[in-house]
Amino acid sequence: MSPEFIIGFGLIILGTVATAWPSPKDYITRLINLELPAFGILLVMLSFDETLALLTFIAVTAISTFLFVRVIEKKEARK
Amino acid sequence: MIETFHTGMFAASLCIIIAFFSFMKETDDLHRLLLTDLASVMALFLIALVGTDLAEALILPGLVVTISKLMALAEIYLVKEGIWGNQPARTLDIEVLQSAPAILASILVLYGIFLSGFSGGAVAGLGVIFYIICKGHQERFELIETVSGYAWVAWIGAFFIMLIFPSQWFLAVMIAGGAILIKVTAKLSLIGTMRGESDV
Repeated sequence: MSPEFIIGFGLIILGTVATAWPSPKDYITRLINLELPAFGILLVMLSFDETLALLTFIAVTAISTFLFVRVIEKKEARK
Repeated sequence: MIETFHTGMFAASLCIIIAFFSFMKETDDLHRLLLTDLASVMALFLIALVGTDLAEALILPGLVVTISKLMALAEIYLVKEGIWGNQPARTLDIEVLQSAPAILASILVLYGIFLSGFSGGAVAGLGVIFYIICKGHQERFELIETVSGYAWVAWIGAFFIMLIFPSQWFLAVMIAGGAILIKVTAKLSLIGTMRGESDV
């Protein structure tokens, strides 16, 4: 097992727990905690040499973060 | 190798159980939407554990399906809650967003053209998205649609060349790579128009 895999593996487990039960339970905290498992999966992909998947995952993560921020912005604007 | 796979499987099942329980107790729809993204990360982790070219081939469509599913669900959520036309009280105003786009977008687009093919299209598309998000846009959708239509035709044509004149495979690969680059870039750049305007 390579070090990248072990770190990624730990990040995924910790990140899942952090996303499942975020400490102040609001949208932004959960969105930020969601980056932890995403980074973990990047490291796992790195350890298996999956270059294309890694690059595409980065692009898709950027778009989905943007998407969520837009929805949260509109949701908060009503209050 | 097999040991790595088994350890990963163990972690993945643990994570899936955690995500499932948190999903079950959640009542707010937007929180559920965020947890959907977590579930997709779990699925990708499971696929990535295979660790071969097959995994890579399965991850790419998985990512595309994930992002289109998220976009559709987000739009449905906005319509359902009746917050479609809401404007946030204060739009994000960061100085870098004013000065950086031109140079960063051009670097991304040039690198994307250099890469060519699907991933090149994705990189170039990100550059265009970034530029449009930061600088705003005029309505030029017809142009983008026309270009992406011709790219589609070139892509299909390249496959016909490959089938009918197999000796010209290099030309066909080049045409297909260029066409898919333009196609993916055009499609991705449409995402950049989502910011701010309530009518798009």
